[in-house]
This record gives sequence, C-alpha cells and structure tokens, in this order.
Amino acid sequence: MPRPPSPSIPEKEFLFNSLKESLRLDGRQSLEMRDPVFTFGPDLGWVECALGKTRVLAQLDGKMVKPTPERPLEGIITINSEISPMASSDYEPGRPSDEEVTMTRMLDKVLRRSDAIDKESLCILAGQRVWHLRLTIHCLADAGNLLDCACLAGIVAFRHYRRPEVEVVGEEVIIHHPSERAPVPLSMHHTPFCFTFAYFPDPNTPPILDPSHLEQRLSAGLISIALNAQKELCVIQKAGGVPLSQEQVLGAIDIAVGKAVELDRIVTQRLEEDWKGRKVEIR
Amino acid sequence: MSSRVEILNDGGYRSDGRRQYELRDITIDLSPRGTADGSAMITHGLTEVMVDVFGPREAKLRGQTLHDRALLTVEVGIVPFSTGERRKRNRGDKRILELAATIKQTFEPIVQTNLYPRSEISIFVSVLQQDGGLLPASINATTLALLTAGIPMTDYVTAITCGVHSTAPLLDLTTLEENDLPHLTVASLPRTFKVTLVAMETRLHVERVSECMKIAGEAGKVLHQEMKRAVEARTKRLVQAMDMAPRIGGVGGGVDRDVDMDEDNQT
Amino acid sequence: MITFASFPAPPEFDAYLGTKHYEDNDMEVDLNEDDYEPSGRKLTSPGEVLTSSHAFMRGHGTFVENEEVIASVTGTIERVNKLISVRAIRTRYNAEVGDLVVGRITEVQPRRWKVDANSRQDAVLMLSSVNLPGGVQRRKVESDELQMRTFFEEGDLLVAEVQAFFADGAMSLHTRSLKYGKLRNGQLVSIPPVLIRRLKSHFLSLPCGVDLILGLNGYIWISKLTKANEQEGEEGFDAEAVYSSRNDDINEATRAAVSRVTNIIRVLAAHFVPLTDTVLLDAYEWVIEQEGDIKDILSPEVGEALVTAISAQR
Repeated sequence: MPRPPSPSIPEKEFLFNSLKESLRLDGRQSLEMRDPVFTFGPDLGWVECALGKTRVLAQLDGKMVKPTPERPLEGIITINSEISPMASSDYEPGRPSDEEVTMTRMLDKVLRRSDAIDKESLCILAGQRVWHLRLTIHCLADAGNLLDCACLAGIVAFRHYRRPEVEVVGEEVIIHHPSERAPVPLSMHHTPFCFTFAYFPDPNTPPILDPSHLEQRLSAGLISIALNAQKELCVIQKAGGVPLSQEQVLGAIDIAVGKAVELDRIVTQRLEEDWKGRKVEIR
Repeated sequence: MSSRVEILNDGGYRSDGRRQYELRDITIDLSPRGTADGSAMITHGLTEVMVDVFGPREAKLRGQTLHDRALLTVEVGIVPFSTGERRKRNRGDKRILELAATIKQTFEPIVQTNLYPRSEISIFVSVLQQDGGLLPASINATTLALLTAGIPMTDYVTAITCGVHSTAPLLDLTTLEENDLPHLTVASLPRTFKVTLVAMETRLHVERVSECMKIAGEAGKVLHQEMKRAVEARTKRLVQAMDMAPRIGGVGGGVDRDVDMDEDNQT
Repeated sequence: MITFASFPAPPEFDAYLGTKHYEDNDMEVDLNEDDYEPSGRKLTSPGEVLTSSHAFMRGHGTFVENEEVIASVTGTIERVNKLISVRAIRTRYNAEVGDLVVGRITEVQPRRWKVDANSRQDAVLMLSSVNLPGGVQRRKVESDELQMRTFFEEGDLLVAEVQAFFADGAMSLHTRSLKYGKLRNGQLVSIPPVLIRRLKSHFLSLPCGVDLILGLNGYIWISKLTKANEQEGEEGFDAEAVYSSRNDDINEATRAAVSRVTNIIRVLAAHFVPLTDTVLLDAYEWVIEQEGDIKDILSPEVGEALVTAISAQR
C-alpha cells in the first residue's frame, strides 16, 4: 500500500518559515478564508461549492416515505458521502480511511444532529407519510480543507432546496407540481458553518484558518469548530494533534464567531440572487 | 426531548444524588490479563471500560510500518449488553470507527512513538458497560494501560465530560444527563494544563464554553491524582515484591501479587 | 424514580474539591510506612519533573522540556553519576549485545530468519550466523539458502545470543556455538523479562534431572537433562542432532519434574519474584517436601505459602 509522497524538507522549512512571519504561500492573511464560490445547478438543492481549488458538489432530493415506527412525527434525513480517489490521489477506494470517517461523522453532526432542520416540519401525515431528504456529497477535488467545504456545500444545499407543496385532504395526500404552486423552502432552525484551524509544531507560529492542502499536510493539529451566526456552538472537534492551551481554543472560537456572521451574510445574499434569477411560474 | 427527571433540583442535587461538580466513583484495576503487555480496567460510576495494550511489537501488517516511529492502532469493541437496548454493532460502524480514531489521535502526540521505529503498539478497548462518558473512560483507561505496559509518554491524559444545565455546569454526566444536556468532552494534560482533545456535538452558547473548559481542566487534575495513586501503588508493590521484602505476602489482606491490584477510591 | 429525601446533609466543603479518600485500607497503611523508601528506590511517573537538565543528563525513560528532565514512564529512578534514567517495571525486553535469549522463528526470509524474542521488533537471525550441521566451517552457498527450512522452520524454538543491532533498533542474533541452537525435549514459559537477573550462566541444571535455559528476554526453556558429553560436543557429538526436530524418549519422572519446575516458575512470576538458581532450588525443595500434586502448585494458597517460605529463608 503506497503512501502519498510526503513534502520534502525544503518545502516544509519554507512553509514553516513563512508562516512564522504570518505569510501564507497563497498570499492570504493567516485568518483569511478563501472566498467560497457557489454554483447552483438547474435543480433546487444542487449546489457546487468551491473554496479555491477544493470543490464539493452537494445534491439534495426528497421523496415521501413511511416514517420509522420510533419517530412517527419526524422526517428522515440521510447523508451520503464518500471520498473517492477522484478528489485527490491521497485517497484510495476500499476500507474507509480515517479522513473519511472524520468527515462522515462531522457532516452528520453539523448537518443532522445539530437540529439545523426542523424534522417535525417534514411530517406530512403522522405515522403515514413524511419527507425523506437525501443529501449526497460528492468530493470533486481536494486542495485542502475538504471538511469545511463539504459542510458548507451541505448546509447551502439545505437552504437552497425547496420541496413541492403538499396538501392533505382527509387521508389523501396531494402533491402540487412546482409549476402549479411555488415549492416551499425547508424550515430551518439555524445555519451552522464549520471552520477549521491548523496549528503548527512551532508554538510561535500563529494558527491559520482554512488550511490549504500543503498546510494541512504539514500541520501539527487541526481544530474544527461548527457554529451559527447566533453564536451557538454546534460542534467542536479537536482530536489529537499538538496540545493547545485553553486560551488558544477559546481564541479560535472567538475568531470563528466573527467568521460565521460574515459567511452567513454571503450565503444568504448568494441564495437570494439565485432565487431571483429563477423563473418560477405561478398560475 | 423533555426530560422526565429533574436534572438538577432546587437543593443542588442531580438525579443520582451527586452535586454539580461531583465526579462518580472511580475504580481502577491494573491487574495483568492474559498475554497483554499492559492492561487496565476503569469504572466511572456504571461506565466500565477495559483496555489491553500489546507492544511495542513487530507490526502485523508490514505495509503500514513507519520507518521513523511506532504505529499506533486502536480497536474498539462494544459488547451488545453494555447498554439498555441490546444491539449488536458491527466493527464497521462509523461511530465505533470514530471512537477508535479519536483515541488514536489523542494518544499519538503523547506517546513517544519515535523511540520505537517500525514497531506497532496495539490498543484494544472493550466497553463493558455504558452509562455516559464513554470517550473519557476509554481515554483514561488507555492512559493507564499504556503506563502499565511501560510505554513512554510525555504525560498522563485525563478526560472528563462537562455539561451545561441552563447555566449551571455539571461534571461527569450519566447517559440520562448526556441525552438532555449539551456537553463537551475535554482531555487534558495535567502537567502543562493543555488540552489534547475537545469534542462537542450539541448546541451550546459560546459564552458557556470557557467555564466548562476550566472546570473540566480542574477535574482532570483530580483524576490525575487518582490515576497516579493507583499506578504508583502498583509499581511500589512490584518493586517491593522484587526486593523480596520479608513481609512478602502478608499485607493487603492476602496475596501480594500483581494479579490482584484493586483500588477503590471515592472521588 | 429517585427521590432526594434520604440524602445526608450537604457537606460543608465544595463537593468536588473535597475529594474523599479512604486511608484506612491495609495496603495504604503499609505503603505509608514505607514512605521513607527502605530500599532507597524512588518511584516516579510520566510528567513528573525530576531535575534540571543543566546539572544532569537524561537517560532512558526521560525527556527534556524547558530545561527540565521529565520522566516518561512509571518506574524507579536510577542515577549513575550525572545520568538520570527511569526504569519501567514491566516492559518488553530491551536487548543488550551478548545477552542470551530464547526465541521462536516467525518467518523464513531470503538468507535470514525472523525470530520473536519478546522485544519491540522481531529479531533477525542471518543464515551466515548459524552453524552448519556437522560443524563444517565454510561460506554459505545458494544450496544452503534453499534448505533453510531444514535448519529452522516457522514455529521452531531456539536459543541464541544477541550479536549486534541494526540501525532501527532490531537485534541480530547468532547461534555460532554448540551451546546454542534448536530446542527440544521440553517446554517454554514466558515471564516478565525484568524478573530474570543476569547470572554467571543462564544454562542451569537442576539436580532433579531438568535443564533450564533462562533467556534474558523472559522466555525460559525447561527440558530434560542433556547428557554432559553431548553438551561438550567433542568427538562423540552427534552432528545431525543439532537441527533435529524429534524429541528423545522422556520418562514419566522427568516429565513430572519439568512440569513441577514450570509451575514453580509461573507462581514465582505471578508473585513478581526475581528468578535465580538459588530461589529455584529452594522452591523445588519446598515443593518436594510438601508432597502435593503438581497441579496444586498453581493454586493461590500453595503459591502464597511457597513464596512466604522462600522469602523467609533469605
């Protein structure tokens, strides 16, 4: 099983020395994110999110199913994600790698377990019919920080998606085609965003936000923080890596708070633009 | 998800009679098991975790050996009868894989793996009972098992959960409390007071976090004391046995052997 | 559900800071008595600062951070002049050149065998480091390479000496002496390596007709007594027998003696008593005096009595 080639020593030294002077190889500030670029597809819930060269495609669709007997009043959300060798030659098919496990679990926590979507609003007829939302995450290219990009694509897909309106008459469910009645957006409690910070072995090097591929490979530890614009933390994940002091962790959270507000604004604006651009016929 | 039980009543007691910052009983058992190089069993209240460490030894999969340090592998097994709902989880379960990956990543910077190039250190975690605080118990037990195996580490790793009930932080949550409260798990290093692991997966306001981390750090120090006592008592016994002190076998109400190291400490 | 009526009054102190410890345990009392460390051995555990790195040098089991020498394992502190090291009480075997080890072949590779020797990596036994049957002295050629399995096969036990180390810390063994080679006519016990003390000779012959090989790696081979002339290996030495995998005829009494010694070693190891020839002899005599069944040695009561008896003799 060949491992991906590790960066050479001069490469490593160069990066560490520049970071020590708060310079990043792509010209960003240490706490600057790459600007997210959203491309919306022809269907609602089809979002491609790009952070620099990292690209993730998220696709959401819904269908009506019978709810689980344990939770007759709640809709079902499933998230499928897989990192295939297509994203980067570092990944290989077969047994899920550690990165993949981390990403799957993180997506699950950020998008599903954080209660971002009001599951009860997905119920159509108690115990009979609920919406089943399926989110599929395709990682198209990994140029660092795949996790944040996937979370962002996922949550924007949820915001972008609109389900057909349904009407319940007695025991009968009538689905209105989007051309008859305007589809309705999902009812969401909040919009969590994920931010990943990278730390380096040298304690004097400042942490950086949104690490690039090389930075991620050479970092000594990552911390991922998911939170919404209302200053509510949803997930903190720092597993291993260089030990941090409590102040460092709290400092990272503080920065993330500011970034979340900013990102929320961008996302909302882009979604509005896209919605305006769509012709929706209402008869 | 409203609770049927009061999490914290007006008198300041929790559902199991503990106070806000009170930890559950901790028992540590460091007796050797089978052919393992180090083993430890820890209970936090009703949560019971057993860890066996093998190694450093020849790596089982030659392709995975690292030329400059030892490979750390973690396997987690959760017995089906460990929870109320009897359910078999297969080894490919994402949650179990995540637990294993988390333990591995927590210990990678702490264990001095660079001393054992091309070797493998295998950690087997068996969860026997679950009542909240599964990850912290596994981490604490792994620390102890690595210590008994004589594997060099830069420090102890002590972990604990801290939850928040409205505004009041609670330590060492049970399953009942975990289901209802936002909580975070903190693994800290007692010597430098730094954290190697912070994990949280429920909504919590930013302002609550710093308090939680501080209290969890303090609790980590208490856990460190307990763990250190157990480890040092065991070492002392072994050293005494090796010195063949004249009183050998006459203390501790019975056999002075490595096989029987129980320590009950109330915390 | 749980009620809160019957709880005792809340303690004065902060429930969490005021950790309750129970001090009245037998063991605790015993330990407190020993706080002055009669043996002069000081214990430590990871993260404990031992001394400043200016005045001392760090040895095994320690590391340096912020100009302080800090322990990284639990064990006893040892100081040799300016060198501070911590020795872990139970670890894998740390080899030294010249050590005698007992090992098991795990793999046959081109021109070498891999040997499990209870160390952190499998040891290597090069084809060039073994004797050829018949004691012929010559370079090993390709035909020897092709019949490596006739010398040692996977699973074979052998006794060897540590010859050197490779750059990554793996040890290289040799069996170029008539004392070393394949093991047969007995059984293996494994105990913590720390319990095997360095002795003048690690080949012991007990008067009860049992041969012992105490490998410093914690593996012990207990076998039927080999006759003196065979061991000397002069003219009457049976060259082919060196790599033979067939056991000799072993009579009932010898089998009993081998089992008895094995069980004694197991009991002593469970009580963490270091093995020496005198301890073994004392223990064997004591067991014979007791006239018990061999399997009873492993029972906790007998084991305890055995350890008490031999420690009393010292």
